[in-house]
Amino acid sequence: MTSYRSSGARLILQDLGYFIKNALGSIFSREFLAVLIPLLALWELLPRFGVVPRALVPPPSDVAVTFWELLVHGKLLMHYGQSLCKFFLGLGIAIVTAIPIGILMGWNIAVRKRVLPLFQLLAPVPPPAWVPITIILFGVGLPMQTFLIFLGAFYPILFNTYQAVKDTEPRYLASARVFGASELTLILHVYIWHALGSIIMSVKTGVAMALVMLVIAEMYGGHEGIGYMLVEAKDFFQIPVMVVCMVILGVTGWFFIEVLKFIELKLSVWKVGR
Amino acid sequence: MIEARSISKFFSIVGDDRTAQGFTAILSVSLNIAAGSIVSILGPSGCGKSTFLEILAGLQAPTEGEVYIDGVQVLEPLPSTREEMEAYRRKYQFLSPLANGMFKDKPRHEIAMIFQDYAVFPWMTALQNVTFALKLRGIASALRKEQAIAVLRKTGLGDSLDKYPSQLSGGMRQRLALARALAVEPKIILMDEPFAAVDSLTRERLQDDLLRLWEATGVTIVLVTHDAGEALYLSDEVIIFSPPPGAVRNRLLVEAPRPRRRSDPELLALGERIEAMFQYDIDHESEYCI
Repeated sequence: MTSYRSSGARLILQDLGYFIKNALGSIFSREFLAVLIPLLALWELLPRFGVVPRALVPPPSDVAVTFWELLVHGKLLMHYGQSLCKFFLGLGIAIVTAIPIGILMGWNIAVRKRVLPLFQLLAPVPPPAWVPITIILFGVGLPMQTFLIFLGAFYPILFNTYQAVKDTEPRYLASARVFGASELTLILHVYIWHALGSIIMSVKTGVAMALVMLVIAEMYGGHEGIGYMLVEAKDFFQIPVMVVCMVILGVTGWFFIEVLKFIELKLSVWKVGR
Repeated sequence: MIEARSISKFFSIVGDDRTAQGFTAILSVSLNIAAGSIVSILGPSGCGKSTFLEILAGLQAPTEGEVYIDGVQVLEPLPSTREEMEAYRRKYQFLSPLANGMFKDKPRHEIAMIFQDYAVFPWMTALQNVTFALKLRGIASALRKEQAIAVLRKTGLGDSLDKYPSQLSGGMRQRLALARALAVEPKIILMDEPFAAVDSLTRERLQDDLLRLWEATGVTIVLVTHDAGEALYLSDEVIIFSPPPGAVRNRLLVEAPRPRRRSDPELLALGERIEAMFQYDIDHESEYCI
């Protein structure tokens, strides 16, 4: 038997290398760079030569300068940290509630019959529609913002988990049952593993929805966060600041989705080669 | 010893015109399977033979009839009246009648089952698949790995302990399923077309492996198949199911001495008889359809 085990620190470095390669690989591929570089060049040159008004469309160099100024002199890091905190809090609560409820609903028909219709009635309410009542109930601040982010991420995770667990191949369950598996063992060793791909997929959707709700929540209340910076920039007509905020949000979403992709890759070694 | 007493299974299916219709999958099948024998259940596809096997395993409740394994009833039959059915539903509202229990792993009978596909868990390595089965049987964790490796060696998987099923060939996967079934030292192994998905050369090798392991352990094997040659080569008795509704059409005792040859004239003659029976059923299909 060949053993590929090596020391912990080296493994972590190795994984980090894989992650960077996986995440950045698609962006820095030759094919995509051939599209990206001309696009950036157009964005830079069109405002510079006055084809489009520079005050309305700031070129990337202006955006970069603004970013640097905000980072050094402004409160960008503070705002970003605040936003990240809320994002993690809301998404985290959504993950630890939606996945277990989804698993229970998929596992047992009696639970499903009692709980699912409730969520089916509540889910179609668009999360932003909750903003006014949430502000009245929680006031403006962290609880309200966390709740809105939670709300955005909760339903996609819940329904996808439930569906994936429900669709578990019955023959896997049958063979485990014949060996004597209890229901808890079935959940821990069969249902979850069978549904794992869909669960991670649903968390990706959850990340996207959480970002949407983060911006909405911060636009409506509070005095910190990227969403607040956006509104403030609008009031002062600082278009480069707006672009900086948008780029930061985009990169954040991209980064977390890449992290999830990597986790998926790591957890489903068994799928490789199929 | 498996005892099936007049097992019937009805399904209600919804037809094209959206009316519910009754469908009889199995009609009053009674069987006794002696301990230590290999019995094949042979029949055309859709004759309810897999359903019958699942009823033996306790994975489906029969509509009528009872199954006993060594004198212990496998599953109570489904109730027949509306009131009883409602009581049954209430009783099993949260825990299905098939469940072994909520938290405690405990097999009801000393059986193992092998399916054609989906036989082993793709998210566990070969070794993990076997140790998982041992864990469910309550083997102490210190002993599991050792026992699992021993069984895997015996089935020729000693070099593939850390491989995932997706990295194994179809034949190796079925061998792993066999290893997992044997590892828990069951009294009975139920097999649902276990070799149908592998090529014919591998199939013959797997059949020989199965016979070798059967002789070493003395386990009872119930094999569902649609391959008459396989049934005759392996079993002491072949039970032929009729086209739907599944009922016992014929029982053939195969008395050829072991070890057998596939080209044994006695087996070939029996094979021709079975062939002729199936042909007769196909030619006279209309009579069954009325």
